[in-house]
Amino acid sequence: MTRYIVVRLLDAIPTVLLVLTLVFIAMRILPGDPAVAALGDFATPEQREAFREKMGLNAPLWQQYLTFVVNSLTLDFGASMMNGRDVLGLIAYNLPYTIELTIASVLLGVLIGVPFGVWAATNPNRAPDSAMRGFSLIGYAVPDFYLGALLLIVFSLNLGWFPINGGGEGFLDRMHHVFLPALTLAFIKAAFLGRLTRTALLEVLGRDYIRTARAKGAREPRVIYRHGLRNALLPLTTGLGLTTLTALSGSVAIELVFNRPGLGKLLISAIAERDYAVIQGGIVVFALFVVAINLAMDLAYVLVDPRIRVS
Amino acid sequence: MTLTRRAFVGRSGAAFAGLALTSTFAARAIAQGSDTLRIALSARGFRTLDPARSIQGADEWAIIHMFDTLVDMPLGRFPDSVEEVQPSLAESWTASEDSRTWTFKLRPDVQFHKGYGPLTSEDVKFSFDRLLNPEELGVRSALYENLESVTADTPDTVTLQLKLPDPLFIMGTLLHHSASIVSKKAYEEKGTEAFERDPIGTGPYQLESVAEDPSQGILLAANPDYWGEAPLVPRLQTMYIADTTARTLALMSGDIHMMEGVRAPGWVPSIQAQSPGLHFDVASPGSFFTISFNLAAPPFDDVRVRQAVAYLIDRGQIAEAMAPFGQRTWGINPPSFPGGFTAETIPEEIRYERNVEKAKELLAEAGHPNGFSFKAYTSQREDYSSIMLMIQQLLREGGVEMELELRDHTAFHADQATGTNTLYQRSAAYPPVPTQAISEQLAATSEVKPDGSGGPNFSRYGVVVPGIDEMLAATMAESDLEKRLAMVRDMEVKILTDLPLLPIVTNGYMMVRAADLDLGYEVQSGYAHWRLTKASFAG
Repeated sequence: MTRYIVVRLLDAIPTVLLVLTLVFIAMRILPGDPAVAALGDFATPEQREAFREKMGLNAPLWQQYLTFVVNSLTLDFGASMMNGRDVLGLIAYNLPYTIELTIASVLLGVLIGVPFGVWAATNPNRAPDSAMRGFSLIGYAVPDFYLGALLLIVFSLNLGWFPINGGGEGFLDRMHHVFLPALTLAFIKAAFLGRLTRTALLEVLGRDYIRTARAKGAREPRVIYRHGLRNALLPLTTGLGLTTLTALSGSVAIELVFNRPGLGKLLISAIAERDYAVIQGGIVVFALFVVAINLAMDLAYVLVDPRIRVS
Repeated sequence: MTLTRRAFVGRSGAAFAGLALTSTFAARAIAQGSDTLRIALSARGFRTLDPARSIQGADEWAIIHMFDTLVDMPLGRFPDSVEEVQPSLAESWTASEDSRTWTFKLRPDVQFHKGYGPLTSEDVKFSFDRLLNPEELGVRSALYENLESVTADTPDTVTLQLKLPDPLFIMGTLLHHSASIVSKKAYEEKGTEAFERDPIGTGPYQLESVAEDPSQGILLAANPDYWGEAPLVPRLQTMYIADTTARTLALMSGDIHMMEGVRAPGWVPSIQAQSPGLHFDVASPGSFFTISFNLAAPPFDDVRVRQAVAYLIDRGQIAEAMAPFGQRTWGINPPSFPGGFTAETIPEEIRYERNVEKAKELLAEAGHPNGFSFKAYTSQREDYSSIMLMIQQLLREGGVEMELELRDHTAFHADQATGTNTLYQRSAAYPPVPTQAISEQLAATSEVKPDGSGGPNFSRYGVVVPGIDEMLAATMAESDLEKRLAMVRDMEVKILTDLPLLPIVTNGYMMVRAADLDLGYEVQSGYAHWRLTKASFAG
């Protein structure tokens, strides 16, 4: 197993290098001068030049690229061009908020979507199944930022149940702050996971071993959850991986709507301000997360389905 | 004890309802009686709290509460004359006859925050020397080009020597937040970068903390040793919330007490409809929105084409659409500035009231009997895009088709700075110094350059059409205020006749205030920030 993990990690190196290269190129072709963004209209040409020199923007491109790659590999992303704060520190502050939002939304998505999918699969072509179809349709169709704004207006503004701004401090306060944004993302995840559960379970429930279990007198919940759902887990695991990745990318819009700290919001701000250091650092960390989630999913396959060998 | 499923569901429901009610009351409690005045600004996070380095208006709300300047404005407005300028750290001052030597007597017993000692003339000298030092990465040095030297005559007297006469010196440069007095001791002790995050001034509030989360922003606490009247609210929090919806919801929920408004047509009526009790404070003139024509390239190298465009644009209609923050302007300087033309004083030949027929005649004379079309780009920011879309529609009625492309705001500025637009736009705020908007946007020294190193003279006025620089130099050398203002008006007549630039509208800076927050005075004019020391919560 250790060897398998090491091999998969080595496989990820070209991906990370490619991401670093693309990020570097994207930063350089993005219109807008970081010196103007940082110093404003009133700075003199000499002051702008001094800023570029200080930030290493006057060095040849290949040199800037090499410095960027080497520094990135040691997680040294430098200082923000806007306020001089350490980029790694900014990421370290914001990342936990994005992770907690991602985990909370995936958990809620699973808690809502999977039982709903099971209910629909065990009642095919009846009311629960139709309800599942309607729920999926709405879940796929409603944009997350719109749903987020609606939930904010109803539950935060009108009912005052949840806070409107920030990420909270201390465990309970943070959970209070994350619930509504996580529910927004979870709604869409639940639609996807519910549909996936229904399809996978329906297929499994038609198999011979399910009929055998029933013939042997096994009770229906045991048939569905122990024999049915467990065998439907493989496609669900794939779905869960995709869901986690989309939750991570979806957090960008949700962090803006709910005005909570997070890596997505940090990145959007940095892009608007042409803060190269923060953009590069943020995207690299995002990319590392995607690689890590993919690796975790590969390992989960092995655990879920013994037929898959780590070889 | 056994717990049935029914009992579990019932108790869980009761617990959830209890939690919800508690949350409700907690949220309402925040909204009512607070010892912290919370304001949300349209920015993504703080950049610097050093007054000499600040370029972001949102930071300046904290800066003006932590620092004092030598002199101050009357509450809520720009002074109409030098006589209206108020004492602040300087309790009195004198000017030489040629308006080049200004001597200030400092107020006694002023203390810097957090035990950094008393204010002396050395601190004043240090603060201005820093602005003049080319080694410092200060971004406001252009404002101080006319400042020759600063001398600490005695511990409580300081003299500022100018290169050229400036009778408006104390109501221009010295009122700007960058002229704030910093503690020499603190700056030298902390160093440049630390001072940007932990500055020491003499203002009514002192820094308590800078939150990691921009939406929690900067927390200030009342300065216990303040020389003036203590602020009515003990704490002030300036928060950075760039998203308009999030900011608006925060205000409506009572989470914050003031927010930066959105300068887009229709925004104010829509907010008023939802919350009729809100107050809207507007500091005019705010930003001057102008369009510039490239005098070096067709079709705008022909003055008749430029005049036709001016006759097609209904500036009154645009100002009306941008109300309550948008105001009609006639000349380069708005009516409220010294020397600014008003509806009554603007000469008829440069008034440019909308006249489609006259515009068509001018176009025909210039060889465009059927109009013409051109491409231009603008920023996605609400004020730029709204105004340019209105201009597009107005031009169309005269046969002039402007193909407009929307660009990201930073990219828009970067592209314009290399001189690639056809109809340039600029939205910039100026102090009530009537030569400043002209020297910055129309002098040959500010000409835009293809490598982006030039200034915002997008028209290339002074280079393609010479003359303005000589007039500007003569005006700057004039020490008599009335004569100087007359010369400014002469320059405006020349500019509006040559028409390298057309002033469209001034967009005041707007803040929206909760119904129960009393500001203590009325905001009329000024920079894009004002002091909240007299603010209090009703009831």
